[in-house]
Parts: sequence; C-alpha cells; structure tokens
Amino acid sequence: MKKVGTPDYTVSDKLKTHAAALGTAAKEMILPLNITTHYPRERKRQPDCFRGIMLFDPERCISCFQCSFVCPANAIWMKEAPSGRYYPTLDHGKCIYCHFCVDTCPGGALRTTKIHDVAFKTMEEMFTTTEEMVEPPTIIREDETVVDYVIDKEDLSLKRTKEVDELIPDVPESKGVPMVSVCVDRGSCIACKICDQICESGAVSSVKDEAAMTVKMSIDAEKCTGCGLCVKECSMQILRLVRK
Amino acid sequence: MIDMINGLISTIMNNPVNIPLLYVVYEFLLKIPVLGGIVAFLLDFSLLGYPIVRIIIGFILWKPIFILLLVPGFATLGTMLLVLPWLERKLVGRMQWRVGPREIAPRTRGSIQLLADSLRFLCQEVIIPKDAHKFYFLQFPFLYFLPVLLPLLFINPGAAGTPLVPLESPYALQIMIGLISFMPVFIMGVGWSSNNRFAFIGTVREAFMYFAYEIPFIISILAMIVLYGTSDTAEVISLANQSSWWNWGIVLNPLAALVFFIATVMATARLPFEIPEADQELAFGPFIEYSGIAFGLAYVMAYEKLYVLAAIMTMLFLGGGSGPVIPYLGDLSYLIWFVVKTLVLLLVLVNLRGVYPRYRLDQALNIGWGALLIFALVAVVWSLVLGGVL
Repeated sequence: MKKVGTPDYTVSDKLKTHAAALGTAAKEMILPLNITTHYPRERKRQPDCFRGIMLFDPERCISCFQCSFVCPANAIWMKEAPSGRYYPTLDHGKCIYCHFCVDTCPGGALRTTKIHDVAFKTMEEMFTTTEEMVEPPTIIREDETVVDYVIDKEDLSLKRTKEVDELIPDVPESKGVPMVSVCVDRGSCIACKICDQICESGAVSSVKDEAAMTVKMSIDAEKCTGCGLCVKECSMQILRLVRK
Repeated sequence: MIDMINGLISTIMNNPVNIPLLYVVYEFLLKIPVLGGIVAFLLDFSLLGYPIVRIIIGFILWKPIFILLLVPGFATLGTMLLVLPWLERKLVGRMQWRVGPREIAPRTRGSIQLLADSLRFLCQEVIIPKDAHKFYFLQFPFLYFLPVLLPLLFINPGAAGTPLVPLESPYALQIMIGLISFMPVFIMGVGWSSNNRFAFIGTVREAFMYFAYEIPFIISILAMIVLYGTSDTAEVISLANQSSWWNWGIVLNPLAALVFFIATVMATARLPFEIPEADQELAFGPFIEYSGIAFGLAYVMAYEKLYVLAAIMTMLFLGGGSGPVIPYLGDLSYLIWFVVKTLVLLLVLVNLRGVYPRYRLDQALNIGWGALLIFALVAVVWSLVLGGVL
C-alpha cells in the first residue's frame, strides 16, 4: 500500500516557494492579467451558433410535432391555433437550451439567437406562447464594447472593440433534411386511413380495388413534406421516414 | 485661576508643530482683498480679553494634540479605516484577476465603497440574540477602542533630533506592549458574551493563538529594547536615525523584524493566520452574532489593531519619520514619511491574503511556539552581541 504524506521540502525550497508566490502576487498587483468582462457595459462576442432564446417563424412551420417529440425536458407543447394548425409553445422554466428542436425542425421554422440575458417576473410569464416566440424579446442594451477572448500560446487576453454586437445573427436559413414517408410493409396495412386523415399536405391517397375487395394506400413523394405525423400515428407502425 | 489659564495658554502657544508652509499660506491669505480682511478680523477677534480663534488654532497646532488628533493619530486612523479595506479589496482583486469594488462611483474606481458599506451598517437593525449577555455584548466593541487608541500616545513619528511624541515616558514601549496584549481579552469577551457555538470555537482559537504569538511578539520588542538600550520612543527614534537608513532596526536586527511582522499577522487574525475568524467554517468567529453598526465596529477592530501595530513596526524597524526632507513642510515632512511607510507596511500586511491560504490551528501553534519563539530568542542574543560590539 502506498501512503500519501506531506512532501519533503528543505528550508531553501520553502524560501524559494515563498519568494515565488510573493513575486507573482507583486507582479499581478502591478500588471494584472484581467479577464473580467464588465457585462452590462461590455458583451462577450458569442459565436453565431450560440444557444440562446429561440425565435419561431410560423410561415415555415409544417406542424410536424418533431420539436415537441425530441424535447428532452418536455418544455415544448403544441397548442392549436385558430387556423386549426398546431404550433409550438415553449416553457422557459423547463427549457435547457439544448436546441435539439432547432436542429430537428425539418422546415427550419425555429432559429437561434445570441440573446441569453432574459428575466421573467413570474413563473407564468416563463410559459411563452407562440405569438411571443415570433418577435425577439425586448432587451435594454447598455453595451458599447465587444470583448473577444484571444488565446495566444498560454496566456488568455481580452481584445476590446468599440461596436455593438448584433444579437440576432444573420445565419443562412436551415433547409432541413428532406425526408419522405415510406410504407415498409404493405402487406400489413389494414387501410385504417388514419394517415390519410392526419396528413395536412394531401400526400396520402387511397385506391379502392373493387375486384380484390381491398383498399391500397399510396404516398405521393412529391407532395410529402416529411413531417412524420403519419409515421407517429400509423396503427400498424409500418411507416418510416427516409431521406428523399 | 487666571494665572493658571494664562499659564495653560502660554504652554499651548509656545509648543506648536513647526510647519513653515502654514505661515506662507497665512501671508498669502492676508493679501487677498475680502478674504484677507475676514481672516485678519477673525484672528484679532477676542473674547474676555483672549484672542479666542488664535487660541483654538494654537490648540490644534499644539504638538501633542496635532500628533494625537491629526497625523498620525485619530484622523489618520479614521482615514485608514476608510481607505485600507478598499485598497485591500482592489489590490487582492488585481492579484486574483478580478476587478474589486467598482459599481459605486465607477469613475473613482469604487473608492467610496466603504462609505456605502458603513451607511448600510448604520441603517441595519442591531439584533441582540436572546441568549447573549446584553451588557457585555454591546459594550465590548466600543471598549475595544481604549487599548487601540491609547498606544497612539506613545508613537513617535519624528526623526533624529525632532521627537514628535505626545507623551514621553521611559516605559513607553512596555506600556504599549501591555495595552496591545490587552486587546485579545476584548475579543474573547465578545465571543463569550455572544453565547454562540461558532463564537465559542472562534474564541477558543483566539485564546490559543494569543499565547502562540504574544510571547515571540514581546520578546522581539525586548530584542529592540536591548539593542537601543532604552524603551523611551523618543530616544529609540533618535538612536535609530543617527546616520542613515543602515541604522534602522530592520537592518540591525532583521530577525526581530521578521518575528514582529509574523506576530502582527497572527495578532490581527489575517490570512494566513485567519484562524479565529475563519470565514468559511466559523463565519467571522467571535463576531458571528453582530449585525448593523455593532458589526461595523467589529469589522474595523482588526484594522485598528493592524494600524497601531504597523505604526509601532515603522517606529521600531523602519526608522520612524526619517526620509528626504520636503521643503516648507517642517515637522509635517516627518509625519508624511511616517504615514507613507506605515501605509506601505499595511498594504503588504493586508495583501498577504491574496497569496497564502489559511494554516490549520495546529500548524499555526507549531509556528508560534516553534520557529517564531526560537527566532525571537536568537534575535535577543543577536541584539546583546551587537550591543556589545557597537
């Protein structure tokens, strides 16, 4: 067994360490290496992909529920709009800002901003409705300087530039991954037509075969938006989302 | 009766501090049209046959009163209490890559932070715990000023040939040691009257530390008394500055200076010997129950003691007020050098907290009863040898 004891220092070692510690302190006292950002008056420059408050574009939303399904904190609930479509609402009390919803959105309706300094007065306010997610929240900007952290070899230093950082970055719109719903096991289809009822884009159609007394469902790959609603709802679990 | 008053006035008026600059300012003021007239009228204004304004100014400029009240006495102590914690926070912040106080008066780098703090303490309610001994609980932080302020009577900020000591006594150093040794009693009283378990632990630690540092501390001063052959502060300063800085105590007996320095850090419970207060585990130890203005008083207790001890160290080891003479300032020149030396010493003392972590109680006792005591005894022997040689 190995025992850990106090290191063996001679008197000269101790004096050297004391002198080094005091010397470092004196050096830092005169020429400090300060890495503090004076936050309300200065802002650290964040990357464009910073995971801040999310904005929502209802025009691009295909009501696919993917954001709600993927949310690990169960913060996104879909609410029915007057138009009959379902749009996401976000509970900031639960949200962990993992941005899985932004990554998973097939239509690119959710986008990220660099706004991270948001305060809510009550728990009820933290539950943001769809309307509140469209416009960025009002923030009072006091900052005039942007701070960049520069790492050269070992030391970290700050580079200050007189400019106001744009908090809503102008990133190219996400195209999403084009997906299409495909039936993998036609023999098992019971023609319950749930997919037909739930499809918003009218991609599912049914063909009645009078002679064989069967109904065949077919999915039009051109019309399918790849929202995956039919995949979720299929009673026989025979639909899959595949890349277009 | 009238003879007595006249005698008192002549004593006061015949022993002023020598500041030539004041006369230059006075003559300049007389030349200004309206202001000069007012100044001349005020100085000639007499009540019952006495020039009352002249007597008041003379009283303030009377040597003992000037030294005791202004520099380096109460006024300087008060200024230090306001400036020193700010400087400490600022400099320790710089050492640790932080900014320190800044938000209050940002243009002056937060320099009035302590005023804001004291305002907060003033407005806060003073809560007296149910189990505390109310009488002593409220009394001790105020009584603590007694042993802190009395040593200022014997501190000599002058240089060779010009002793500037309010009270000359052949036993000045011994009286100061006695008063300083009296200070921990008040801290123990504070801890005892709080009747709190953390305060109790802090008090016991304070008692342990008290014996660990007090003996080397007294012996290191004894070494200097042996070296100078006198314990009268006026003579100590005269002997220390006979030729130049190589006659300072720190050069003649560096070991005693080191022991005094470490004992000062221990006595004021500052890092690395912040054992009785130990913020992280005891939450300010003996002072845990204090709030409001009583806490403000308890908070500055350590700084008061620090100032007195640093002033004594400046006097004994750093040659008092000796330094390049600033023209037109006369005696004030010595006082300024004394305060500057004390301030530098204070900054070194308070900024140790940015460098060292805290020792355990047993380690600190080991240092106090071991190395420190041995060093102090060696310093006495060195003083005896040096006294024989010189």
